[in-house]
Amino acid sequence: MVRSSLRWMPAVLVPLVIGTGVVVAGASPVVTLEEKTPEQVLALVAASDVRSFSGTIQQTSRLGLPEFPSTDSGSDSTTDSVASALELITGAHEARVFVDGPQRARVQITENLAERDVIRSGSEVWTYDSEAKEATHLTLPDKTAAHDSPAWTPGEIAARALAAVTPSTEVSLDPASRVAGRSTYELVLTPRTEDTLVGSVTIAVDSESGMPLAASVHARGESAPAFRVAFTAIDLAAPAARLFAFTPPAEATVKEESVPDAALPGTLDARDLRSAVPPFGVSGSDWSTVVELPSGSAPPELLASPLFASLATPVDGGKLLGSALLNVLVTDDGRVFAGAVPLNVLQDAAANR
Amino acid sequence: MSSAEPGPARAIGERAPLGSPSGEGESRHPSLGISLLVSELSVIYRRPRTWALLAALAAVPILIAVAVRLTDDGPQPGRGPPFLDSITNNGLFVGFTALVVCIPLFLPLTVGVVAGDTIAGEAGHGTLRYLLIVPAGRVRLLLVKYVGAAIFCLSATLTIVLAGTVIGFALFPLGDVTLLSGDTIGPGESTLRLLLVAGYVTVSLLGLSAVGLFISTLTDVPVGAMAATIVIAVASQVVGALPQLAWLHPWLLSNHWLGFGDLLRQPISWDSFGANALLQLGYIALFGALAYGRFTTKDVLS
Repeated sequence: MVRSSLRWMPAVLVPLVIGTGVVVAGASPVVTLEEKTPEQVLALVAASDVRSFSGTIQQTSRLGLPEFPSTDSGSDSTTDSVASALELITGAHEARVFVDGPQRARVQITENLAERDVIRSGSEVWTYDSEAKEATHLTLPDKTAAHDSPAWTPGEIAARALAAVTPSTEVSLDPASRVAGRSTYELVLTPRTEDTLVGSVTIAVDSESGMPLAASVHARGESAPAFRVAFTAIDLAAPAARLFAFTPPAEATVKEESVPDAALPGTLDARDLRSAVPPFGVSGSDWSTVVELPSGSAPPELLASPLFASLATPVDGGKLLGSALLNVLVTDDGRVFAGAVPLNVLQDAAANR
Repeated sequence: MSSAEPGPARAIGERAPLGSPSGEGESRHPSLGISLLVSELSVIYRRPRTWALLAALAAVPILIAVAVRLTDDGPQPGRGPPFLDSITNNGLFVGFTALVVCIPLFLPLTVGVVAGDTIAGEAGHGTLRYLLIVPAGRVRLLLVKYVGAAIFCLSATLTIVLAGTVIGFALFPLGDVTLLSGDTIGPGESTLRLLLVAGYVTVSLLGLSAVGLFISTLTDVPVGAMAATIVIAVASQVVGALPQLAWLHPWLLSNHWLGFGDLLRQPISWDSFGANALLQLGYIALFGALAYGRFTTKDVLS
């Protein structure tokens, strides 16, 4: 009897070993780094001169929006484009990023048995969609050629957050951690105001290169981040040059598109925005900024679409598109108020105008 | 282990005093294990059933290729199984498409039949106890049965790839292969990638083979073990399709089954290959241990 129970031992031990392995791998690692003040970490970021890398970026969002199946329902194109935009900001996405200096970059959004690519080499930009077998070719105007192209890497997001470091924000450091196998300083930005949905922004800074490796935004009162962009793997060596030389495959449909000098995604800053969209008003400041668009600026067909009706909740004075980090209020007279602020701040802004 | 030992070590083992179980075991293991495996493989591949399964698998790429060839305007991008629209440009894609079509049901079905039959089949035929007359033979028999099932997994995948490539060459032009990233690679590298995908799919089926082996030790009715194995493969995919059970997905047998797309990117990504291999290894360890516990304590009467 003893022998026969011994023979079941492996069947007991294997789950134990697997379970222990999972717990050990999932436990937050103990990382000891040289003590630094938040200012020193900010300086480390500013001094970072990483120009070439390849890595895998994972983006997860828990914005409290419903998840949409990304199937084409055959409805009108406005709803489709809104649904595909929503699909991008809900759920999880993975991308492989290759950057070699400011001029050459390649982003691959990877899905199961499909991929979307954006390849930039100097002023030449290609996009490729493996499912539709469509390639698009753009030539950037010279004056924009100097811009850095990856606009959504953790570095870019961190730079934006760091630019917002003003007296409105408390900057502190969490215990050191580990991102993509590298030890990181965890910079925490906490808004001092109560009038915002943002609880804190955490930026993981590589302790060696000073490159931000992860950025996450926590909604007020939530422990899991509402939005997180992080490297899951990174290599600071220059990627192979042939990755940036793209020739569209023979069977793909190739579209040529020209870029108007003024409006180029990725190079828009606040001034360009003002000239590109109807005049808008801003109230509040820093974390509790509210943007107001005048009546009629929201497309009427969008407001009438069933998708909008299913997402919006009626509130005092209009309809609310709510999420964990952003609230949008469409008032009954058609004005639009948006901001990372609670509903009552939007309603106050609407009432004061 | 001992088969890799150099000559002198084996000579010492052979000179060990008679009656020493360890010395005797070491000198007898390699020859017996290999001859047992050879006889197991000849049993598997002499069965008409095995050849019928492989023929059914080979029919899938042939059916796909002929259907695409006979339609006039060809498939549209984005409709039907992945890679279907690439077939008209390149015969090599027939194999890829057939693998995508086969992996949810056909491959688990054939693997379930072979793995479910391993022990239960012998028990059902009353031949199991003759296989076990060698002392301490149960572990070795279990290993040989599992290796036999694993070799069948490889032959099943290669059958699809081979049939797809042959029919693809016969009906369609051969040219550069377009990867998911939009880059093109020549026929040499694309053959390599196709073989890598075949390897990935084979690895994907190893966990299911271990599950089948364990279920097969539970019963003397081979059909029951086969059906249960196939049900587990299907149930795993049903659970994988439910977003409400997302927390369970990383643990599912079928979680990475369609992940071989990572081998078709530029540069090649090994992430899902590694994750899949680790997951399947976990299943092999767990169900191998369960099968060991069950089979070594089982009363073999038939």
